[in-house]
Amino acid sequence: MYFYLVQNISINNQNFKLHPSGAIFWSEKQLLLIADVHLGKVAHFRKHGSAVPQQVITKNFEQLDRVLSEFDATEICFLGDLFHSHINTEWILFEQWVRSKKVSLSLVTGNHDIINPLRFKELGFELYSERVIDTFLLTHEPEDREGYFNFCGHIHPGVILQGSGKQRLRLPCFFKQPLQLILPAFGSFTGLYILEPSKEDAVFVIGDGEVIAISR
Amino acid sequence: MNQIDLIQIAEDWFQSQNWKPFPFQRKTWKAFLAGKNGLLNAPTGSGKTYALWFPIVLNYIKNNPDFKKTHKKGLKAIWITPLRALSNEIELSAQRIIEDLELPMTVGIRTGDTSQKERARMKKQMPDLLITTPESLMLLLASKGYDKTFKDCSAVVVDEWHELLGSKRGVQLELALSRLKTISETIRIWGISATIGNLEQAREVLLGPESESFRESVTIKATINKKIRVQSIIPEQMETFPWRGHLGLHLLEEVIPIIKASKTTLLFTNTRSQCEIWFQKILAAHPELAGEIAMHHGSINKETRNWVESAIRNESLKAVVCTSSLDLGVDFAPVETIIQIGGPKGIARFMQRAGRSGHSPGKESVIYFLPTHAIELVEASALQRAVKEQTVEDRIPYLNSWDVLIQYLVTLAVSDGFMPDEIYPEVQGTFCFQTITRDRWQWMLNFITIGAQSLQAYDEYKKVEVLENGLFKVNSRMVAMRHRMQIGTIVSDADLVVKYQKGGYIGMVEEYFISKLTRGDVFTFAGRNLEFIRIKDMHVHVQNSSKKTNKVPAWMGGRLTLSSQMSQLLREELYTGNMLSRKRSTEINALEHIFRQQKLESIIPSDHQLLIETFKTREGYHHLFYPFEGRFVHEAMGSLLGYRISLLTPITFSLAFNDYGFELLSDQPIDMQEVLDNDLFTTSYMHADLQKSLNATEMARRKFRDIAVISGLVFTGYPNKQLKVKHLQSSSSLFFEVFRDFEPDNLLFQQAFTETFEHQLEEGRLQQALERIATQEIVWMDCEQPTPLSFPIITDRLREKLSSEKLADRIKKMTAKLLKKGR
Repeated sequence: MYFYLVQNISINNQNFKLHPSGAIFWSEKQLLLIADVHLGKVAHFRKHGSAVPQQVITKNFEQLDRVLSEFDATEICFLGDLFHSHINTEWILFEQWVRSKKVSLSLVTGNHDIINPLRFKELGFELYSERVIDTFLLTHEPEDREGYFNFCGHIHPGVILQGSGKQRLRLPCFFKQPLQLILPAFGSFTGLYILEPSKEDAVFVIGDGEVIAISR
Repeated sequence: MNQIDLIQIAEDWFQSQNWKPFPFQRKTWKAFLAGKNGLLNAPTGSGKTYALWFPIVLNYIKNNPDFKKTHKKGLKAIWITPLRALSNEIELSAQRIIEDLELPMTVGIRTGDTSQKERARMKKQMPDLLITTPESLMLLLASKGYDKTFKDCSAVVVDEWHELLGSKRGVQLELALSRLKTISETIRIWGISATIGNLEQAREVLLGPESESFRESVTIKATINKKIRVQSIIPEQMETFPWRGHLGLHLLEEVIPIIKASKTTLLFTNTRSQCEIWFQKILAAHPELAGEIAMHHGSINKETRNWVESAIRNESLKAVVCTSSLDLGVDFAPVETIIQIGGPKGIARFMQRAGRSGHSPGKESVIYFLPTHAIELVEASALQRAVKEQTVEDRIPYLNSWDVLIQYLVTLAVSDGFMPDEIYPEVQGTFCFQTITRDRWQWMLNFITIGAQSLQAYDEYKKVEVLENGLFKVNSRMVAMRHRMQIGTIVSDADLVVKYQKGGYIGMVEEYFISKLTRGDVFTFAGRNLEFIRIKDMHVHVQNSSKKTNKVPAWMGGRLTLSSQMSQLLREELYTGNMLSRKRSTEINALEHIFRQQKLESIIPSDHQLLIETFKTREGYHHLFYPFEGRFVHEAMGSLLGYRISLLTPITFSLAFNDYGFELLSDQPIDMQEVLDNDLFTTSYMHADLQKSLNATEMARRKFRDIAVISGLVFTGYPNKQLKVKHLQSSSSLFFEVFRDFEPDNLLFQQAFTETFEHQLEEGRLQQALERIATQEIVWMDCEQPTPLSFPIITDRLREKLSSEKLADRIKKMTAKLLKKGR
């Protein structure tokens, strides 16, 4: 049994909890931000003859449930790449999952979200190409806009850590720049893209069910 | 025509060439004509092609006495070669026989280089004699109606079988042969192999254990004794010769007079990057050699390679810097001298290279050995003895390569489909799968049909379908196309084509190298300085640059290990370091001042001692162990010992190893007395501990890369095609993780561990090494600073990791440093 430890940060006087699943909980708005779940990816691979274990599908839904149970969220806003491919059997499971939840749902669409928007709307989703809440800009791909702090996904950020004795670790992370925070991919069957932080960036790595701030 | 008349035809032909057949050629003709299968043990340049082309042709004459009037078209024989580069030579010798004997037969080559048009033409009408590679043979099995193509095939010759034997391409071939044996009842199977330690086993693997074909087979040995002389290049100033390194450039000037004094010299390097660097540096230091020296390695384009090969033959080159790409086959008479740069790591390889020179019978072959660092002189000394005592190593065949079996079954399903009950006994008859059970077989069938071991609701898995009559068949054209693309890919890393922006193919480099470049970076490749522009559709676009650079592509496959035979000789040579100088070889004597330095800080171990050294540097606490068992055994022993120590206390190690020993580096010291008191070198629970240590390192994950590609889990993309497959791209490492977390009993996942044990870590050798250590006295030296013996190890940057600390604790300790971009 993992003991989850979240990391609290505040941006523009608002409070955010970084969760080891990769989700962010915005306390004042009771809003969960989740990026790059890539549902449907496993089924897509299997349909093309690549035998990804089917349990991976269930794991994504379990993770979503777990996050919901830990926060009193009224809404989940997915920051793009929620569904990886065209409609396939995972969509049915997704529909079942959505119908069993009371929380409101919204999606800022990403490059992988090629499913007809009507299908999402039928499930009660609000759809956005980008979304502005107060001084915050929610997008899929990273976006610089004056006067706004940007939450986004798309990159699947990770970093490499080095320690004495030639130790190295490669880990997923929340990657925070002065005016932007890139969320790690939430999905279980997704890769990592290694970023190089500069001086003004803050990095929060995920490991062993903890979110750990890396200082320099 | 009876056998005597037939053989007379061959004898007459030899006489017309003013040649005399060797006894091994005559023996092979007779055995073949008597219907035998077999293994021919003959080196390159010995006339092995005539030993087998002749009986194939004679057999045709025997069965078709009317051939001049009624020639029946269709495939009669297949010659399989592991290297496309060799196919032209083989074709020439066949052509020669056919023309001189005025036979209506045709010869054709089908390899990865064969054009689409030519392949289509062959599909309609196969040549009588086909020269091909294991992959291309597989592709033939993936085409419709293949059974008709092979029905009248009377012979398969597998050339350079020793090269294929210890690889998965060998397994691919075992499976293909198992099918051909059923399709063509009269087929004879012959292998040709250089000398290896396990020749008899090589024959068994080729023909299938306990098979009819194995019972009806012989081994024929060509006894052509070649004299080999090994000459070490010993630096005059040993004091300034480096303690570590792998390039050997310090001795560049020593090589020049050797090149100038001989007609053609081949300089063998161990890696392609080393090859590139040597070529550049020779030219820079001796511009007068421009135009007279060339470079040859597997990543350079085919035209350039062909040009270099023919230039060697017509004596227009003074020297060629090359890699193992020139190890095999092609016969270069003008080569007078061989220089081996750096330890060749294996005796068979070294001897084969030595054999490339002085081809005239009875002439002595000279091979120069150029050490790249001081301690390598010990290796030189060991090689001297190996050559004298004619020691050769084994090639270990693969067992239970499930990935290759899955690929093969899908291949059969792509062509005509298969009935499992017909294929099962064939598969079971191969060496690789001799212990397969019905359960495992069913696992394979489930994997390719439902992509799991039990049927799930809402699943759309699609690959092989089971038709009503029980036939296993691929119906989807997409699946079939992707599979055919995948067949050639028994390789280790994604290769990218390097070409000029305006067109013009230069060669292939690994993606890993390119991923670290940014626009404008300059690197050396194929003897040119190239500026990186961009990657587009699996192509690397470059332009020529005049900028200087020290970036050279590294190819991951470049690391070799010492064979056990070689390790033993190496140990014995090193132990002579304690003897009187007159009892030692010249090479060992040259190391005198290094031995002196070593003895100042520590000792030179003797055969009854295991040396352990510990010291501290800025990098952390170093713990070195010197069993002298070769890189792979050290890798295994390092992981095992590291794991056992990590049970005593939470600790994190980085592991480095070379052929002499291994290092456990940590940010905290190990209590060495505790290691000794707890008997951590014991062989008890070795397997279980090793297995657990593997979970803690990355070795199995790396092995899994090949497995994921071969079994079709990971799709590597369409070469040279702009098709959208991005949604299907994924890394094998991601697959490794989801199998580990969700399906740990998956046979492909398990295979990664078995392979690591058997082929990477050589578990059997580890056991022997530990047993040897149990009889030794352990000498622990607590040193002030790094010793000469430790230097090549502690400076190695390719490292494994092992930890028993909590990940979160490690992260917290590591917060100080953030590393730049890496893999």
